Amino acid sequence: MFENIYPQLIGLCAGALLLTSALMVWRHSLLASIRLLALQGIALAALVAVIGIAEGESELVIVSLLILSVKGLGLPWVLAHQSKAAIKQIQESPRLNPTAALLTVTLLTILSYVVVSRVFGLGDSSTGHAAPIGLAMVLIGFLLLISRRRARSQLIGFLVLDNGIATLTFLTSGGVPILLEFAFSLDVLLVVLILHVFAGRMRNKFGGTAVDQLRELHD
Amino acid sequence: MTGMEAGLLLQLGLGALAVVTALTAAPSLRSRAGGILCALIAVTGFLTGLGAMLGGTGSLRISITLPMDPLVLAPDRLGGLFMLIVSGVGILVSLYSMSSTRGPDASRTAWVAMPMFLVGMQLVPAATDSVSFLLAWEIMTLGSTLLLLADHASRTRVASAGIWYSAMSQLSFFFILAGFAVLAAASGGTSFSSLQAIEPGPANVAFVLFLLGFGGKAELVPLHVWVPRVLPEAPSHVSAAMSGAMVKIGVYGGLLVCVRLLPDGPAWWGIAIMVVGGASALYGILQASVSSDLKVLLAYSTTENMGLVFLGLGASMLLRGYDAQAAADAALVAALLLAVSHAAFKSTLFLGAGAIIHATGERNLDRLGGLGARMPVTATAFGIASLGAAAIPITSGFVAEWMLLQSLIHGGRLDGAVVSVAASVAMPVAVAVVALTAGLALLTFVKAYGIAFLARPRSIEAADAREVPPLMQLSLALGALFVLALGLLPGPIAALVAHTVSPNPDAAVQSVGLGGVSLPGIGAVLDPIMLVVLSALVAIPVIVSIIVSARRYPHRTVELPWGGGGSRARPRMQYTATSYAEPLMRVFDDVLKPSRDVQVTHVAESRYLVERVRVEQRVSDVFETRLYRPVLNLIQRYGIVVRHVANGSIHRYLSYSFVALLIVLIVVSL
Repeated sequence: MFENIYPQLIGLCAGALLLTSALMVWRHSLLASIRLLALQGIALAALVAVIGIAEGESELVIVSLLILSVKGLGLPWVLAHQSKAAIKQIQESPRLNPTAALLTVTLLTILSYVVVSRVFGLGDSSTGHAAPIGLAMVLIGFLLLISRRRARSQLIGFLVLDNGIATLTFLTSGGVPILLEFAFSLDVLLVVLILHVFAGRMRNKFGGTAVDQLRELHD
Repeated sequence: MTGMEAGLLLQLGLGALAVVTALTAAPSLRSRAGGILCALIAVTGFLTGLGAMLGGTGSLRISITLPMDPLVLAPDRLGGLFMLIVSGVGILVSLYSMSSTRGPDASRTAWVAMPMFLVGMQLVPAATDSVSFLLAWEIMTLGSTLLLLADHASRTRVASAGIWYSAMSQLSFFFILAGFAVLAAASGGTSFSSLQAIEPGPANVAFVLFLLGFGGKAELVPLHVWVPRVLPEAPSHVSAAMSGAMVKIGVYGGLLVCVRLLPDGPAWWGIAIMVVGGASALYGILQASVSSDLKVLLAYSTTENMGLVFLGLGASMLLRGYDAQAAADAALVAALLLAVSHAAFKSTLFLGAGAIIHATGERNLDRLGGLGARMPVTATAFGIASLGAAAIPITSGFVAEWMLLQSLIHGGRLDGAVVSVAASVAMPVAVAVVALTAGLALLTFVKAYGIAFLARPRSIEAADAREVPPLMQLSLALGALFVLALGLLPGPIAALVAHTVSPNPDAAVQSVGLGGVSLPGIGAVLDPIMLVVLSALVAIPVIVSIIVSARRYPHRTVELPWGGGGSRARPRMQYTATSYAEPLMRVFDDVLKPSRDVQVTHVAESRYLVERVRVEQRVSDVFETRLYRPVLNLIQRYGIVVRHVANGSIHRYLSYSFVALLIVLIVVSL
C-alpha cells in the first residue's frame, strides 16, 4: 500500500516545495511571503517524514518533527512577530517585475534539472527524480536575495536557500545525523534572530530597511 | 645546545620580552626599558653573528602547524657577517633611541615595532629556506613601516612617505616571492640547499625577479623612489637603522642569489648588475650633491653607496665567469667591506643628523651653521663619518673604494692577457663611474659638514644649539670609532670578510704588517698605519717650522679702519648649501632638470627699484616624474573606472556571486 503511494507522496512534497518557492517570487506582500515560508517548512517536514517512514528510520521522523517546529512554526513566528495590521501594510517593491521573475524561476528550474541529470545522474529512485527541486530552491532563494530590497524579504530569500540545501541533502543522501541537523537548525534560528534584531535597529536608525540605500561605511 | 642555538633562541625570547615590556611599561620607563632590551637583542645578534662568521654551527628548528617543512634558522659565515652588520647598527641605534625618543616616537606602537624590526633584520641572514627568509623579511618590513608611521598624525608628509614605503616594500616582496616560487617550481624544494642546479631558463627569470626585489630594498635606481621620502621623514634613529642596516639585507639578498643560489650565471648577469649599480651610484650622488636638506642628502648618498656595492658584486660575477678568480674575490670582498663601512659611517651620519635636529629642530642646511663650536662631540663624530663617506684615507670608506678600484683596474687582465672583450670594456667604464662618484661624494660631504658645522649660524635655532645628552654622544662616538678602526686596521677585517665568501680566501686578501691589507692576486698593498706614520714624518717638520716662524715674528693686530665691507660681514653673506652646489647644478642641469621660480617684487613708487627677490628652486626625482607618475596616473584612471563595478551595493555583490554560481553550473553541465 505505502510502496504504491510513496513516489506520489515524495512528488507531492517536492512539488509543494517548488510551488511555494515560486509563489514567494511572485507575491510582494511580506505577510504572504511569511505564510508561504511556513507552508514550505511544513512541506519539508512532511518530505522528511515520508522518507523516514519509507526507510524505516525513526531518527528521520524525529528530525521531521524538529524541522516542523523550527522551520514550519518557529521561524515564521519570529519573522511575523509584529502586529498583524502593521505587517499587512508592508509591500515589497522588487527590483525585478513578476513576469520576468517567474520566467527566471522557470529557467533556473530547467537549469537545475539539466545540471543534476548531467553531473550527478538522476538515478531511478523517486527521491533521485525529485533531487533537482532542491537545487532549484537554492537558486530561487539566491534570486530572492538579489531581487528584494528589504532586509526581512532578503532574510526570507536566505531561508528558502537554506531549505533548498536541506531538501537536496535529504533527497540525495537520506539526511544527516540528527545531531548535525539539530545544530544546523539552531544556527539558522540564531542567524534569523540576529538579523531580525539588526533589521529592527536599522528601521529605528534609518527609518527603513531598504538595503539598496546602504552604500557607505561610517564609524 | 650550542652557543649559536642559544643565541638565536635568546634573540627571539628577548624580542618577545621587549614587545611585552613596550605594551605594559609606564610611559616614563618605556624608552629606557625598550632601549635596554633592544640593545640586548642587538648584542645577542652581534655575538651570534660573530660566532657564525668564525665558523660556528648550530640550528634552530621551528615546527609550525602548516603542512610544510619546519623553519630552520642556521646562519652560515656570510649570514653571520650580515647579522653582525645589522646588529652592530642595532646597538648604536638602541643606545641612541633611549634618550632621543620623545612624543610619538616613544609611543607604545613605536617601541613594539623597534624589537620586531631588529629581530626581523637579524633573522633574515639566518634563514636557510625561502619560507623563513620571507617570514623574517616581512617582520622586518612591518616593524620598519610602523616605526616610520609613528608620527603620522601630526605630519602629513609622514603619511605620504608611509604609503610610498609600503607600496615599494610590497613590490619588492612580490618580486622576491615570485623569484623563490620560480626556483622552487624548477627544483622542487624550498630550502636553500635544494634550490640549486636550476635550468638556465627559470634561472634567468628568477635572477631578474631577485634583482628587482632585492634592488628595491637596496635602494637601487629605478626602485629607489621611496628613499628620498622615507629616510628624511622617519625619526633619525629609524633612518639610521634603515639606511645602515636594512638596506644591507637587500645586499645580503643579492649575495645570496649571486654567490649561493645561482653562482654560475651567464656574463650578462654581471653586466646587468654593474649597469644598475653604476647608474645608482651616479644618480644617487648627483642628487645628494645638490640637496640642501641634510637627511635627503644622506638618503641619496645611501643610493650611491649601495650602487657601488652592487657594482663590485657585478664585477665579481663577470670576472668569475672568466676565471679571474683572485680579482673576482677582491671585488666581492671590496663590495662587502663597502657594505660594512657604509653601515658604520651612514648610521653615524644619520644619528648625527638626528642630533642636529634634536638640538635645533632644523634639517635644512641653509639654516644651519656654526654647530662645531656648540656641539663638539657631534661635530667630531659627524666629521669622521663624513670623511668615511667621502672615502678619505684612514677611514673605512677609503679602504673599500681603494680595493674596489684595484680589482676593477687590474681585473680586466689575467696574466697580462685581456680576459674578454666585455670585461675590457666594462672595467674602464666602471673605474670612471667610481672616480666620478668619489669626486662628487667629496664635494657633497664637504658641503654637508662645512655648511652645518663651520662658519656662523644662519638662524637663531642654530645659534642656540646645545650638545645632545650623553647616551646620544656615546653612540655617535662609538660609530665614529668604528669608522676609524676599519680605516686603520683593514687587514684583519678584510681577511675575515674574505673567509665568508671565497673558497680560497688567502689567495684573494691577506693581512700584512700592522693591520695592512694586501691583494696577492693583484699585487697591491695598503698599509694605513704606515701611511699615517709617513705623513706624520712629512707633516711634523712643516708644523714645527710654522710654529717656530710664528714665534719669531710676533703677532700683529690688524685693524680695519674702513673694512671694505668686510668688517660688517653678516651670516647671510656666507656660502649656503644651495650656493655651494650651484656650479654643480649648472654642469648637470640636463640630468637633474631643476625647476626654478623667481618672483621680483618692485617698490611701489618706482619700477626701477626692487623691494624683494624670491628664488625658489626644486630638484625633483626624474624617475618619479617620468616613470612612476605616468604609471600611477594610469592606475588611478583604471581605479575610477573600476569603482563602478564595486559601488557598495549589496545587491550588486550578491548578483556577482549568483552569476558566478550560474556560470559554474552551466560550465560543469556542458
